Amino acid sequence: MATDNRQVDQPASLWTQLRTMAGRGPAPYVLILAYAAIVSALLLVNPTTGLGTDMVVVLFLLLMFVIYRAPTILAFKLTLGTILLAVVMPVFGVLNPFYIDVVTKAGMFAALALGLNVVVGFAGLLDLGYVAFFAVGAYLWGIFSTPQISNIVSGMEPLHGSWFWLFLAIGLAVGAFFGVLLGLPVLRLRGDYLAIVTLGLGEVIRVLATNLDRPINITNGAQGIKDIGRPPLFIEPVFQAFGITISQVQEYRLYFYFLVLLVLALTVFVVHRLNNSRIGRAWTAIREDETAAIAMGIPLVRMKLLAFAVGASFAGTMGVIFSALQTFINPPTFDLLRSIGILSMVILGGMGSIPGTILGAVIVTLLDLQLLPRIASELAALQRRGVPIPAWFDPAQYQRLLFGLLLIIMMIFRPEGLLPEDRRRQELHHDEPEPAPVSKTVKPAAESAQSAEG
Amino acid sequence: MAVEATTGAELILTRRSFRSFMSEVFGPLLQVFLFVVGSAVALGGVVILLAVVLRGTREDIDLLQGTITILPQVIVDGLVRGFLYATIALGYTMVYGVLEFINFAHGEIFMVGAFVGAFFGAALASSGMLTTINPILFVIAAVLLGMAVSGLLAMSVERIAYRPLRNAPRLVPLISAIGVSLVLQDVMRMIAVNTGLGFNAQFRTPDLGQPLVLAHMPIADERTIPVSVDSRSLIFIVVAILMLIGLNYLVNITKLGTAIRAVAQDRPTASLMGIDVNRVIAITFLIGGALGGAAGILFGMRVGTINPYVGFLPGLKAFTAAVLGGIGNITGAMVGGIVLGFLEAFVASYLSLFTRGQFSGASYADIVAFSILILILIFRPSGLLGEVVAQKV
Amino acid sequence: MALLEAKHITKQFGGLTAVNDVSLTVEAGSIVSVIGPNGAGKTTFFNVLTGIYKPTKGTIIFDGKDITGLRPDQITALGICRTFQNIRLFNAMTVLENVLVGMHTRLHAGLWQILFGTPSVRAEERASLERARELLRFVNLDHQRNQLARNLPYGDQRRLEIARALASSPKLILLDEPTAGMNPQETAEATNLIRRLRDELGITVVLIEHDMRVVMTISERITVLDYGTKIAEGLPEEIRSNPRVIEAYLGKGAAAHGVERVEG
Repeated sequence: MATDNRQVDQPASLWTQLRTMAGRGPAPYVLILAYAAIVSALLLVNPTTGLGTDMVVVLFLLLMFVIYRAPTILAFKLTLGTILLAVVMPVFGVLNPFYIDVVTKAGMFAALALGLNVVVGFAGLLDLGYVAFFAVGAYLWGIFSTPQISNIVSGMEPLHGSWFWLFLAIGLAVGAFFGVLLGLPVLRLRGDYLAIVTLGLGEVIRVLATNLDRPINITNGAQGIKDIGRPPLFIEPVFQAFGITISQVQEYRLYFYFLVLLVLALTVFVVHRLNNSRIGRAWTAIREDETAAIAMGIPLVRMKLLAFAVGASFAGTMGVIFSALQTFINPPTFDLLRSIGILSMVILGGMGSIPGTILGAVIVTLLDLQLLPRIASELAALQRRGVPIPAWFDPAQYQRLLFGLLLIIMMIFRPEGLLPEDRRRQELHHDEPEPAPVSKTVKPAAESAQSAEG
Repeated sequence: MAVEATTGAELILTRRSFRSFMSEVFGPLLQVFLFVVGSAVALGGVVILLAVVLRGTREDIDLLQGTITILPQVIVDGLVRGFLYATIALGYTMVYGVLEFINFAHGEIFMVGAFVGAFFGAALASSGMLTTINPILFVIAAVLLGMAVSGLLAMSVERIAYRPLRNAPRLVPLISAIGVSLVLQDVMRMIAVNTGLGFNAQFRTPDLGQPLVLAHMPIADERTIPVSVDSRSLIFIVVAILMLIGLNYLVNITKLGTAIRAVAQDRPTASLMGIDVNRVIAITFLIGGALGGAAGILFGMRVGTINPYVGFLPGLKAFTAAVLGGIGNITGAMVGGIVLGFLEAFVASYLSLFTRGQFSGASYADIVAFSILILILIFRPSGLLGEVVAQKV
Repeated sequence: MALLEAKHITKQFGGLTAVNDVSLTVEAGSIVSVIGPNGAGKTTFFNVLTGIYKPTKGTIIFDGKDITGLRPDQITALGICRTFQNIRLFNAMTVLENVLVGMHTRLHAGLWQILFGTPSVRAEERASLERARELLRFVNLDHQRNQLARNLPYGDQRRLEIARALASSPKLILLDEPTAGMNPQETAEATNLIRRLRDELGITVVLIEHDMRVVMTISERITVLDYGTKIAEGLPEEIRSNPRVIEAYLGKGAAAHGVERVEG
């Protein structure tokens, strides 16, 4: 028996040994610090745009996950993570504006995906119209910060950029409101019907955005809204104190980077708290077996609505940020493909898993915005040099193909995702000493075992 | 003596089965016909009533006269839309019947059918045969070709992307189907763009004849306007009806149809009775896909230009039609398609007229379709013709 | 005192009458069985009691309150909980979490309290963990608490379902075939557990059961359903010798042959 086991284990044993070695004593600290130092140095020394830097950025983001999974103390993880994200990345961002934009987008989509994860991953409600709430938030700020508002409320001037902060909260509330509004009629439906109906609702919002330029011009129709307001800057003095002058464009870049990082951190915190509460457990129970969940006293519709509202409120806030970041929105920004893109992030990472969802968002955004266009341009360069690559092969053009294959392959081979949710870890913070005080009605374990056998 | 007796019995048998044959093949069509007439009369009545009520709101034109003038054209439009949704909805409903699974990629199967026709037309054009070929032959060949390609495609999709997931939780195959739909869109785009057909592909046909004038309707000051059906719409309606007859024959009369219905009722039992369930499911996809492909050809022929994303909206609306009629119910899918098609045609044509062009009817017709879907699912999830089924605990 | 009074319950699905004018009174602190051949309407009757179906006719009084037409979660909050004929655990959750879900109606943390992690929420979570562990010890599953529910052996899953139901602090527990599919040893243990629910926790028990040995040993009263109608009610000894019951189980003519076959 024992020899059998050893034989089975053998192929993996070298790997296992390496892992144990890397995880023992000071080894993980040294290894991670070395990794971090090398990657940071590469980024800061050579901040050019190109395939090489692409790879280093990927390594940088991978480092985040290595830190997250590493067997080190929490304080070390937090310190190193903060230094990398709050110092190394911004400085690199000043040196090279391209990548920090991609990372900002990745963070934004990660927060959006976490919101969808509450609905799809926790509560098991397949929402294909999620982008509708994103659109609501984006149009909210888009309308109020531009002359569009004068068409609706006559005499009202566009709001100043400093209202942006308040609108983050309003976006949250309006998102939640729409979540409840759209959720109420449809949440009684069974899973697959719900998917189609939410898809329809998402389309309705898009059609409305396209057509509500008449009779009153609310959304400016297909032309979209441009020159959307941005919040006033206030971090300039910080840079001046260090004797650095940066342009306003660069400053906004950093501004939104930090804003998105902050919102993402808040989102993770909220989602984590909820998941480990009676509400999160109720959602999982609904996902696993609705009938049993009702029988255990879980108010089905109320809990589903809550999931919908929480997910929608994140989308609403991110919509406000998105419109200020882009300063331009139009209806095609919020089409079904966007919803499905966010869904594929959740599915790639692992439905119900918070780190998984973030990983999924980062991978999909990087592929979509950085790696595929880069591969495309490298291929084009090769083609110019006479390498026979068919002209039609342009990876950057095939987003749908990418998302589609991702969904099919994940469903067939790994439906639980790359980093599946780990239910077993939940109880770790409660490994306190055994036999808790036993109430009068319940006998101790040993005794009850005996009487059950007897 | 003995011989005569048997013949007599057989005669009775054939006569009886002929009657049941007629009722099973044409009965559903009669029902569809009733819904066509009913929808046309009811909606026509509503718009005329509205026109009378709203007559005073417009001085520029006579609202009542305008309403009645376009009514015949709107009804034809409703019929075409109705049969379009009906033929696509059949694919959804049959698959749902056997697997309880929404084949999200069905709209793309339809789109591929349309492209097969466009390729066929382009091939004929480049070989110079497009002007010489008999139009009827062209229609038949194109429809058969579209049916074959779409049917086989649907079957392969089932084999690759759905069958491995048959026992997984409900949402897993649905997500896979969403993936298939995206993949088909982009693969079709890749093919179309790189074969010279282009993203917006022209559907070339031989000259299919002039519009058929049905009547001349008198309007004010003794002028008349012709009430006509264009030939492509007519082809659409005729072919769709022929297909529906064929499908009813297949499902209600043949042994294969019995097998399909058996699998739909109870898969484990059907397999115990010696039915090859995998084969039946594959054939269901084949039939549903073929119907979708034919619908795609007819649709492409009618609209003239298609693109790889053209399957999405009709697919979604056909699903609405299937739910409206009672999903899993074949006659229901046809009826649902007809009702939805009429509603949409009326909204699309009359909304702008009644609101002085403030609301574009064509866009809001989509919203009407989805609203119907939601209302039906909430208030009568079993659809117009479905039965109320108890939830199993 | 009667804890549960179901009066003239009728449930129809379309044209089918699954439960027809059934009345049942359960005294507080008793163990009552509902028996009958397959398809007699027992589970449907449970579904009506727990609010999953609304009765077509009839009223249900529980603990002095009319609970007819209330939602299942409201009924659970009032103190009725159940298990299922075909085990329905939350498979992807751990054993402990399954029990915590059962506590849902007894916990009060709201959205904002959870987000801010108020001391009351933390105290509540700690207390609920303690309580869940106690319940798991009661059904002898504490050592399995971090296993996923789907990985438990069959008998353990049945006991976990009972622990989960207990977590809602019910006054009345409805057990739907708690010993189905068990071997004699497991059945004996399960029977014992059911008795302890009443003796140690003071919970009133109503069970649907096919195993006559179990029914006859632990029930104080038995109600017999056949084709949705109540055909007998009484003490075990009365039911044992009731000719209508024997007929329902074994068909006409069997009644003459006596009782032993009913028990087997």
